[in-house]
Amino acid sequence: MTAYLVRRLITAAIVVLGVTVITFVLLHIVSPSPGRVVLGLRASLQAVATWNRQHGYDSPIWVQYWHYLDQNLHGNLGFSYKLNESVNTLFAQNAGRSALLSGSALVLALVVAIPLGIFQAVKRNTPGDYVLTSGAFITYSMPTFFLGLILIEIFALDLNWLPSEASQSQSVLGVIQQANWMILPVVTLAAVQVASFSRYMRSSAIDTLAQDYIRVAKAKGLSQRMILTRHLLRNACLPIVTLVGLSIPSLLAGNLITENVFNYKGMGVLFFNSLSNEDYPVLLAYSLVAGVLTVIGNLVADVSLGLADPRIRLK
Amino acid sequence: MRDTLKRRGLVAVGSMAAASMVAVAVTGGVSSATSGTHQVKAHASSSLPGLYGNIPAPSGKPVNGGTVSIAENPGAGPNYIFPIVPSALSSVFTIYQFQYLMWRPLYWAPVGATPTIDPGLSLASAPTFSNGDKTVTIHMKTNWTWSDGAPVDAADVEFYVDILKAAVKESAANSGNYSPGYFPDNVASMSVPSKYTLVMHLTKSYNPQWFYLDELGLIVPLPSTAWSKASPSGSTLAFTNPANAKKIYDFLNAQSKNLATFDTNPLWQVVDGPYHLTSYTSSNNAATLSANNTYTLGKPHITTVQLVPFTSTAAEFNQLRSGTLDVGQLDFTDLPQVPQLRRQGYNVFGYPDFGFNYMAFNFLDKTGDWNHIVAQLYVRQALAHLIDEPGYIQGIFKGAAVPSYGVAPKYPTSPYTPADNLNPLYPYSTSSAKSLLTSHGWKIVGGTMTCEKAGSGATACGAGIPVGTKLAFNIDCATIFTFVCQQVDSFVSDAAVIGVKIAATQKTFNFILSNDNDVSAPSNDNKWAMTDFGGFTNSVYPTTNTLFNTGGSYNFGAFNDPTMNSLINASVYGGNPTAVKNELSYASKALPGLFQPAFDLVWAYKNTIQGPVNSFASLSQYFLQPEMWWVK
Repeated sequence: MTAYLVRRLITAAIVVLGVTVITFVLLHIVSPSPGRVVLGLRASLQAVATWNRQHGYDSPIWVQYWHYLDQNLHGNLGFSYKLNESVNTLFAQNAGRSALLSGSALVLALVVAIPLGIFQAVKRNTPGDYVLTSGAFITYSMPTFFLGLILIEIFALDLNWLPSEASQSQSVLGVIQQANWMILPVVTLAAVQVASFSRYMRSSAIDTLAQDYIRVAKAKGLSQRMILTRHLLRNACLPIVTLVGLSIPSLLAGNLITENVFNYKGMGVLFFNSLSNEDYPVLLAYSLVAGVLTVIGNLVADVSLGLADPRIRLK
Repeated sequence: MRDTLKRRGLVAVGSMAAASMVAVAVTGGVSSATSGTHQVKAHASSSLPGLYGNIPAPSGKPVNGGTVSIAENPGAGPNYIFPIVPSALSSVFTIYQFQYLMWRPLYWAPVGATPTIDPGLSLASAPTFSNGDKTVTIHMKTNWTWSDGAPVDAADVEFYVDILKAAVKESAANSGNYSPGYFPDNVASMSVPSKYTLVMHLTKSYNPQWFYLDELGLIVPLPSTAWSKASPSGSTLAFTNPANAKKIYDFLNAQSKNLATFDTNPLWQVVDGPYHLTSYTSSNNAATLSANNTYTLGKPHITTVQLVPFTSTAAEFNQLRSGTLDVGQLDFTDLPQVPQLRRQGYNVFGYPDFGFNYMAFNFLDKTGDWNHIVAQLYVRQALAHLIDEPGYIQGIFKGAAVPSYGVAPKYPTSPYTPADNLNPLYPYSTSSAKSLLTSHGWKIVGGTMTCEKAGSGATACGAGIPVGTKLAFNIDCATIFTFVCQQVDSFVSDAAVIGVKIAATQKTFNFILSNDNDVSAPSNDNKWAMTDFGGFTNSVYPTTNTLFNTGGSYNFGAFNDPTMNSLINASVYGGNPTAVKNELSYASKALPGLFQPAFDLVWAYKNTIQGPVNSFASLSQYFLQPEMWWVK
């Protein structure tokens, strides 16, 4: 297991390095002279050249990359010249809020999707299964922003039950204290995940229900509740473990659409604005963090799978 | 030319910066710059022809107290507080809608939506020019004071200029308003003969009206007594010493980079504007400002102004719908819901800012002999006939736009709008376009307009255009707003009717900025024939200097016309205070690009908020004047 982890970590480091190289080169190709974009059209050539020189953009690309890598290794993600803040500060301000939104949605999705999937598997090809399957397809195919706007229209603007935007508190604790402000964004985000997870869960549960050990359990006269909780749940959840692992990047990397619709400034909005402004340091740091989280997510999924299912050996 | 890129999400401020509002009554402002031989007056209009929606006249008596929440532009909250703003952070949202609430410009414009100086809100009377227009004398008003009790005097103007000089000497990028050779480079020296009089000696003679409106309008007097230091507890430095000025600038700039202390730093509490900052959240740029009880023109009625951040226009509109936001801007996609918003108690109006939208030609693109083709005025005129302004206004802008046939749009009206900018010189007509081309040796061959008669005669295609040349080219359009490419699509469609083949490609705004500009990327000259990125916002004195003159810093497609150059020179360096009218008149005929309608900035505000019409109309020019409002 230790050797496996060491190997995976080395591979992960190489992957992350690859992500930094590709992102850096692509951004350089798109706009080799960021000074023009940063300073605007009316900036003089002199100002653009000065700015590029001050920020090292007149150096060869490999020198620029080396500086970028060096500052990252020292924990410095750069400075956003469009937002007048260090990228570390920007991430610190936004990551917690994004993680809270995405994490809450993920938990809610799991809590709903797992029993839903099992129910559909047990009640396979019944009217209840058909209704839930149709609902899942509709929700899954619905754009998040559209779902969000519909929920706002109904529950905030028409019924006036909930606020039409997410909590505006800038601290995670403050957001938690305004839980009712987070209902609509969390539900919006969770709905699509529920649709996805429940399909996986249904499929996996159907496979598991056909296994010999389930038949043996039934033959032994165990109650259905015992069969489902003791024998089916853990085995059927294996695909969900992988899905949850792969969801880790979105926990911090944010959910752009939901954040935008519900006026919830987080990592998604930060990324979107930085993309619009070609805010290089933020884009590079965001790609780096997303790359790291993806690698971690994969690793967590693999290790968790091994722990959840002893038949899987990590070598 | 203010050279403000028309990109609502991130509009960079150019040179002239001012707005206006007068007391409760809706009155016009008058501005004038006097020279030895001329005097110009710019009268504001109290009515708003061309207004989308309505701005009701105020009712009831002003009431003191209350809070108003105003939407910040999504993704463009203020993040720099020191009024000499670096290029990277310069935007109308930071300067006009945040800083100007605290620090007032020397000369304030517009009056409502009208681009003209408001003497009532200006900190100085109109300047006088002497010595062949090489010396400018500014007479400060004697009644303005800082919130710490110090007078706003000539030293504060001198302080601004000295600190600005230090800033741009350090880096040209340290001021978004800076263009090398212009202000403050063109100020050779200054003197303060009396407490309220400042004399500037210029490096050369300038058109007084241009210098007044476009250069002096940049000045924001700063509290020299409170800010002339290099550390929080440092002693007062003599800012006229360049070495000290640099130290002061470095200190103030560093303080302005510390967003977390915007609301607690004592420096930023010394203001001469109607509000001062009481709360600022660095993570989302939310700001709360409270009334400055010592504001020279009287304590504002509204005691608290909240600048509310938004992540998207959809989120902002939802807050308007829910009634939790008092003032906000609408996207064009929201216009069908305006009636509902009105029923909910909002006034909705729209008006264009003073500027123009256009599709720029690239006069250097040799692809398919385009450089020779576009050099022909009749070709540009034919293409101008394909701009369906009435159709765009009704179809694309849903009525929230006004016609524009040149640099000065039909509305808002400016004293410098030439008469021939008010009506179409080249009205929409595919038949006229076709006729112009066919009368110059072009013919539709195999569905494409093709040159059949080479040469430079009156009925030939023009010099350098060989027989068989096809009128086919490409155009880039910016995706920043949906309507930009929608207009281009319509243009392409109309062109196809007469056999002009145009390939439109959508590009990001920043891509166009970086690549479709001869000045920025000369190596790309043969990659684009036309581009549509939006347009520019005009300054009060709307010269196209640096935009349409040969070698101009922002001359997108290298338009090169000696007549244009001399007219621009007259606007900037000549003695005729209305020279810019001739310049704009010529630009609309010479067609350095194809002019498009000027779209409205549509605003909604709760009908419980009352105030002079002009104080709301100025929203269309990006200016906030909540000090003139009250809550009913």
